[in-house]
Amino acid sequence: MISVADLLVDNRLPSNYFASDVYVRGTLELGLLENRRGDRLLALPDALMKSIISGLNQETGQATKYVLRNCGLWWGKNFYARFCEELSDYYQKGVADLSMIEFVKALQECWRTHGWGVLTLNTDYQMQGFLVIEVKNSPFTLHPIQPNQPSGALETGVLQAFFSQLTGRDLTCMQISCESLGADCNRFVLGLENRLESVEALVQEGQPHTAIMQMLTQ
Amino acid sequence: MNPKLETLFDEPEKAYLQTDELNALSQFVSSLPERINLYQRLRNEEVTLMQGVADALQQKFSQESEDKLKRSLQNGILMVRYAAMAMLTDDVDMVTKRLETWLPEIIAAYETRAIDIALYQLIKEQFGGRFSPAQMALLSPHLDAAERLITATATPDAAEEEITSETLVGLF
Repeated sequence: MISVADLLVDNRLPSNYFASDVYVRGTLELGLLENRRGDRLLALPDALMKSIISGLNQETGQATKYVLRNCGLWWGKNFYARFCEELSDYYQKGVADLSMIEFVKALQECWRTHGWGVLTLNTDYQMQGFLVIEVKNSPFTLHPIQPNQPSGALETGVLQAFFSQLTGRDLTCMQISCESLGADCNRFVLGLENRLESVEALVQEGQPHTAIMQMLTQ
Repeated sequence: MNPKLETLFDEPEKAYLQTDELNALSQFVSSLPERINLYQRLRNEEVTLMQGVADALQQKFSQESEDKLKRSLQNGILMVRYAAMAMLTDDVDMVTKRLETWLPEIIAAYETRAIDIALYQLIKEQFGGRFSPAQMALLSPHLDAAERLITATATPDAAEEEITSETLVGLF
């Protein structure tokens, strides 16, 4: 027989750690917005995002997307470490012992609560060795970096660093559809570098994401 | 707290509260002893109440794997805890607000929907036999909110189903 007392052995049942009304708080008299652990959060104004891109474009020209991607890589590395720390504190077990759905659900809720959009994992291409991340309502792709090109360089870096650390493989991430170009969501394809080499040219040609994925998986 | 009551306190600069607004507040305050009492019973009797539910569930799904039943029971215990807190604070939105983006997908991924639906009926039966109609009237709206999350669970997303069985680590 199942014993309820055994299920409640530490008297807690983890649920939605990132629920927004619990996660975001603050010591506002000190001017601090914080998460539920007391780590500082920042509200990033859209005008600042726009200024960063304009400033970089002006100073570095074509290099803007590489700079942003690099920033994303650093951010992603730290974000992964902090995210795992928070989750293992909350679940009181190592991240490796979490089920993948618990981990992914937490990542989605984390994304949503921080106002970074709605993130979903598309595993349609997993048999071919690719993972596609879809993000709707991203605040990071609103402003174009270069005309007619995807503008998610920062997110590309974050996702690349995050999933590389999660899987222990050196992954590359490429953006293959962008909300700023009228797509229904931003799509990022993750895979091994040598298998994604052709993507940059295809994206530059303006190929739709379906065609790119088809070519990748042929 | 009940979101309607909460907004009463938002704009003291605008105007003094009107009689009907203060009445709503009084009503909540006068219902508090009842709410606290019920909350304490739910807390103190959690194991007994849920063990009754667990036994009935196991009888009903004797062929089902114990892991799935445990997973469903954990959801059930969690739901009742949220419902209890929502009842205590008269917050009609709490269960939905905190769990609507989370619970349905967890249920879909673990494929416990059918068990969860039955579990909810058992919880209602079990609680109905233990608590007075007045107490059930306080608690039911919140249990119903939890039930809506379960029944609204969409057909399992293929992606999420696979994530449970296929770890990402082995993907590349």
